[in-house]
Formats: sequence, C-alpha cells, structure tokens
Amino acid sequence: MKRRWLVAFVRHAILLAWTAVTLIPVYWMLNTSFKHSGEWVTWPPHWFPEQPTLENYAQVLTPGSTIFELGRQTLKVLKPLWDSLFTATASALVAVALGSALAYSWARFGTGGKNYPYSVLTIRMLPPIVIAVPFLVYYVSLHLLDTYAGLILVYIATSLPYVIWMMLAFIEDVPSELESAARVMGASRFRVLSSVVLPLTVSGLVATFLFVFILNWSELLLALTLTNTQVSTIPITLNKFQSVNEGRDYGPQAAIGAIATLPVVALGFLIQKHLVKGFSFGLLRK
Amino acid sequence: MAGIRLAGLTKAFGASRAVDGVSLDIPDGEFVVLVGPSGCGKTTTLNMIAGLEAPTAGDVYIGGERVTDREPRDRQLGMVFQSLALFPHMSVFDNIAFPLRIRKTPPAEVRARVEAVAETVRVAPLLGKRPATLSGGEAQRVALARTIVMRPRAFLMDEPLSSLDARLRVEMRTELKRLHATLRATFLYVTHDQAEAMTMADRIVVMQYGVVQQVGPPLAIYADPVNHFVAGFFGVPPMNFVAGAFAADAGRLAFRAAGVTIVLDRPAEAVTAHDAVLGVRPEHVRLRDGTGGWTATVSLLEPLGDETIVFLDYGGATSIVATVDPDEKIAVGDRRRFMFDQDKLLFFDGTTGERILR
Repeated sequence: MKRRWLVAFVRHAILLAWTAVTLIPVYWMLNTSFKHSGEWVTWPPHWFPEQPTLENYAQVLTPGSTIFELGRQTLKVLKPLWDSLFTATASALVAVALGSALAYSWARFGTGGKNYPYSVLTIRMLPPIVIAVPFLVYYVSLHLLDTYAGLILVYIATSLPYVIWMMLAFIEDVPSELESAARVMGASRFRVLSSVVLPLTVSGLVATFLFVFILNWSELLLALTLTNTQVSTIPITLNKFQSVNEGRDYGPQAAIGAIATLPVVALGFLIQKHLVKGFSFGLLRK
Repeated sequence: MAGIRLAGLTKAFGASRAVDGVSLDIPDGEFVVLVGPSGCGKTTTLNMIAGLEAPTAGDVYIGGERVTDREPRDRQLGMVFQSLALFPHMSVFDNIAFPLRIRKTPPAEVRARVEAVAETVRVAPLLGKRPATLSGGEAQRVALARTIVMRPRAFLMDEPLSSLDARLRVEMRTELKRLHATLRATFLYVTHDQAEAMTMADRIVVMQYGVVQQVGPPLAIYADPVNHFVAGFFGVPPMNFVAGAFAADAGRLAFRAAGVTIVLDRPAEAVTAHDAVLGVRPEHVRLRDGTGGWTATVSLLEPLGDETIVFLDYGGATSIVATVDPDEKIAVGDRRRFMFDQDKLLFFDGTTGERILR
C-alpha cells in the first residue's frame, strides 16, 4: 500500500518536472514580452517584469511594414501574421481535402497500386533543403517565387504524405459494410461519403488539419528559400532579429513569439473535442 | 416484391473462381437459404445479387428484369449484414429512417413508417438510443426494421445471426421465420450453420468451392444427399462414414470394410466403382441384443437428455456414432452388437464422392 503511494508520488513528480521543463521557455517568452529593454538581459534574472509594459506589443502590432529608422530596424508583425495565417490555412485546407480523398480512394479502390502511400512518403525522406533548391529553380521560371500561390503549393506537396497517412488510419476504421449498407439502401457514392464516411471521420479530419496547420505555420526553410519581400511568414520575421547588428531586440521578438503561438492555441481549444477523439485513433471500435 | 433468378453467375478473383456458374430460380415469396462452409462463395453470390460486386460472367434478374449492370441503389433490395452495419453516429430512429430520407420521403411519412415498423419488430422504446448502447438482439431487430421499412423487392441476409449467443440465435430463427410468413417476401439467407438452414428454409442451396452442390427442401437434402459433402454437412451428430470397397458375394453386391461386411439386395453388376464410402446417420445405427450385426466396445457416452450419443469402437478407422434412447442401459466399456437400418444406407464413390446406388 505504502509502496504504491510512493510509486504514484515519484511518477507525478517526474511528470511535473518534465512539464516545467517544457513550459519554462514559453513562460520566459511571455515574461520577456512584457519587459522594458533594460530588463531583457539581467543578472540575476527577473522572474517577473518589474515594470510590466505593452510597448513591445505596441511596436510590432503597429500597422505598416518593417522600417529602418536611425539605423534601427522596427519589425512589424501584422503583414507576416496575415501571410502565415493565409498560407498555412489555405495549404492545410487543400492538403486535407486532397489527401483524404486520396486516402479514401486508396483504402477502398486501391487507386495507385499497393505501394502508393509508401511512394508518396518519399518526398519526406529527403531533408527539405534537397527539394528547396530545385523548387527555387522551377519557381524562378514559373514566376512563382515570392508569391502566395508558390508557397501554398509547396506546402500542399509537403503536407500531403502526412494527411494521407493520418487519414488512412481513420478511414480504415470505418467498416466497409457500413458503406455497402448505405448503397443498398439507395445512397449514391456521394451520399455515402457525405452521410456515412464524413461524419465518422470528422474528428480525424479536424486533428489532421490542426497537425498540418501547425507544421506549415512554423515552417522556416522553404519559406526562407522561396519568398523574399512580397510574402514573409512569421518564422522568417522572427528569424530576422537574429541578424540585427545594433543589438538584440529580445522584447519585440518575444512579443511576436507570443502572438505567433496564440492562433495555434486558440485553434486547439476550439476543436478540443475532436482532438481527444481524433488522436485516440479508433473511435469506432466497440 | 419479386423473385430472383441467377443465370450462370460467376466471379473470378485472378485464377480462382469464388463463384462458378451458379444458376438458381427463386420464386417470389420463397425463403431460400444458401449454406456452405466459409469460403464456399455464398457471400460473394449475395454481394453480386445486391450489386456490391460485379460478376465476371452471368446475369442477375430481379422480378424478371436484368439488373446485372445496375447500381446497388437501383435494385431495391433490402440487405442485413453480418455486422448489422448500423450507423454508429445516428440514433436508432435515424438509422431506420435512413433509406426513406434518401428517397426524399416527406418527414411526416418517415415518422409514421419508422414508428409502424419499430412497433412490428418491437424496438419502439429504443428509437432515441444510439446503436452502441443496444444489446445484440436489439441491434438485430433494428437492422431488420431498417430493411423492412424500405419495402424492398426481396430480402438478402448475410449471416445476420452469427454475432448472437446460442440461445438468442434460436429465438431469432423463429422470429425471422414468422416475419417471413407475415411479409410474404422473397428471403435469400446466407449461413454456414446447417441448423439455421434446416429450420428456416423452404429450400436449401448447398454450395462448396463456388459451385451449387444440391438444391432442395431441407428434409429431402437430409434424407437424399447427392454427394459425400452434402451428406456430411447436415446433421448433428454428423453422418458416419466408413471407407471400403464393393465386391461380389455369390452373385450379389457386397460392401466390405474393416470389421464390417454388408451384403446388399442388388446384383453384383449394379456398381462399377470399386472404392466406396458407406454413409449412415447416427439415428439409423441400432444397438441390439442377441445375434446378428457386428460387435463393438462402447468407448464414450454423451447424454443430451432427450437422447444419448454412443461412440462404438468396432475395429474400423473411426468410431461409429449412434444415438439411442436416454433410458437405454449402457455404460462405457460395454460390449454391444449393432446394426444399420438396411434401407437407410447411402453409398458414395470413393474417388469423386458422388452418390452411387441411389
């Protein structure tokens, strides 16, 4: 009895410690985002801002584009925020729509042959830099460089394998007898999809969407290679602080980090119900 | 409502033929059971009738119309699946209403028809529930209701009782038979359970290796099987088989096997096949006192209450199984004499398994 209590105690202590390890960077980012420049780098560290301020947020959220003033770079986040939201959402939507259709037709009709899902995976077997350079060459001649369409296309291509593999797990969970039953009862193929398959895989679709959204939301390398000034996503903007030569703007950078985290967290809360079901893979098994 | 006719229906998967030239005429209102071991092609046959699988060759006719190339939804058949295939995301009401809503039936009529059918199969109190919360028997009735409500031209059932426990299965058997009597619709029922086939069918279709072996009323198939397979498939405990050979015995035909010789009332020329298998049902094996017959040791007893199953070791490769009256005084180790009812003996060709000497 006593022993079991001890085991539970140790287990919870380890879990709590690990939670702290993963959350401390997030905390430090939030903490820094509310500090004045004098407090960014101090020893001993300030665990709370002594004079909390919103000036970092005000600076990055002011409309307008990034400017240089008196040799100092002022980064603006509204445009990158929009660019990221637009490219990540559009690419995730298209990838989930295409990928789940592919997964369905492979699971039910064997479209593309037995090895199709594996061959689709090969695009993820190379480091992204390997595909980034050929894409760059193509994009120059196709005039897709530094455009929304270009970035969205490459994100769709790289997300499709994930979508196909995740959706395969959900679709294979739907017994094919359910579809046969609906067809015999008078449903068309389309009606079978909308009335039977879709309602039973909606949690999977939502979970997959979020997964792909986060993937593209935080993607840096391809965005850095394939965009320039017209399109500039959040990860690129965050990265620019590293190279500013007049000192490090930790405050605004932390503010942007906090802002960049917000949509993902908000989305997660909105679809929490589906995530619990979706990530448990196997909602239909009795 | 309509009858179903199959003409040379064939389904090949690569080189193997799951269904091989099945022709069958089911008149309107008949209860036909397709029976056979798993993998014999019975479910594939049913799926081709429903339109869920396309035949390699042959045709399906429903009510005289050729429907071979029609989509499942254009065949107006009702089908109950082995898994029942209730939609887990819909209430019982929505499940039963599904086929009506697809046909754009007005909501008032949907409600009326669903409630009427739910009353018939006694699921009215369950309409608000989800399928996952139903018991096996309840789910079974809901699946039936969903099929009945669409007023199909014929009912197809693919082992619908296999998920139920033994007792409920026997109850549902009776219920299905009663339902058939009420609806007077064509029922085509697939099972691997010979007892289900015997108890429910107007006519039984026995399949093996994708080929129809025999078609006929249950008792005719039981008493007069066309081959070794059909003879062994029906009956519990199964028919006894004794492998031996035919020989002439003073101008008459005799069957000889280890420990058993039977002289038949037939001329020696009646059979050309040399190797043969004798088949005799356990209820046609008689224990007797005194002389005649053969001697055996009782090796095992299985009392069932209404009868007792006796295993007799007579010197052959396997025991002869007999069913006797439960009051029979008998014990393991007894030496007893036994005989066969001479007029009930069946003989099968030792090579092809075909019935001979009919």
